[in-house]
Amino acid sequence: MGKGRIGNNIRKLRFFRDEMTQQQLAEKVGVTRQTIIAMEQDKYSPSLELAFRIARIFEVPLEEVFSYHTEDESI
Amino acid sequence: MSFQQKNIAVSLSIFTIILAFYVLRIFQLVQGETFNATNLFRLWGIIAIVAVIGTIVMTILTHIAGGIVHKVRTNEDPQIEDIQDERDQMIDLKGTRVAYTFSSIGVALSMLTFVFGQPPLIMFSLLIFFGVLSQVVADIWRLNLYRRGF
Repeated sequence: MGKGRIGNNIRKLRFFRDEMTQQQLAEKVGVTRQTIIAMEQDKYSPSLELAFRIARIFEVPLEEVFSYHTEDESI
Repeated sequence: MSFQQKNIAVSLSIFTIILAFYVLRIFQLVQGETFNATNLFRLWGIIAIVAVIGTIVMTILTHIAGGIVHKVRTNEDPQIEDIQDERDQMIDLKGTRVAYTFSSIGVALSMLTFVFGQPPLIMFSLLIFFGVLSQVVADIWRLNLYRRGF
């Protein structure tokens, strides 16, 4: 099995949520703005708990926020 | 640069200076033929004090200076994000693991000096050297993880 990568739609979801800022989202889920930036740039994969908190803020299922891809998978 | 990154950058600067000072001082002691237990333990004491006090003072000064620069540039009150979230903790943990690995190798190499018949002072000098060096390497590792992600 190829190496996996977790992608996300946080940026898009923020935009559709009245252009919620990174700082606002960070405060709502209890992390720093730098962590939100790192997630949006795919430089950090959050813990399961943080992933659920983010999905809850956007009121969507987890799969709509995060997706999992492997290297041998065509994206 | 985040609050945590600034702290690591300060720590890296302090420990790099300490490492340079330590190596320089050891060379001076060896060249002056005053490389003995008294001078070495005095050097250890100086390093321990400078490491603790220097890191605290420089961290405070860095944040004060950063706050002043931010206020002058943007005319907004600086916001200090001093919470340590899961990403910061993870990076800290990875850095600590690197430090442990590096210092373990250092201890093994220091012990190796006995095999070559060197006096215990050499071993003690190398122990401190690798201890400080492992801190420097761990800080570089942490900053790199903040920059490139993981």
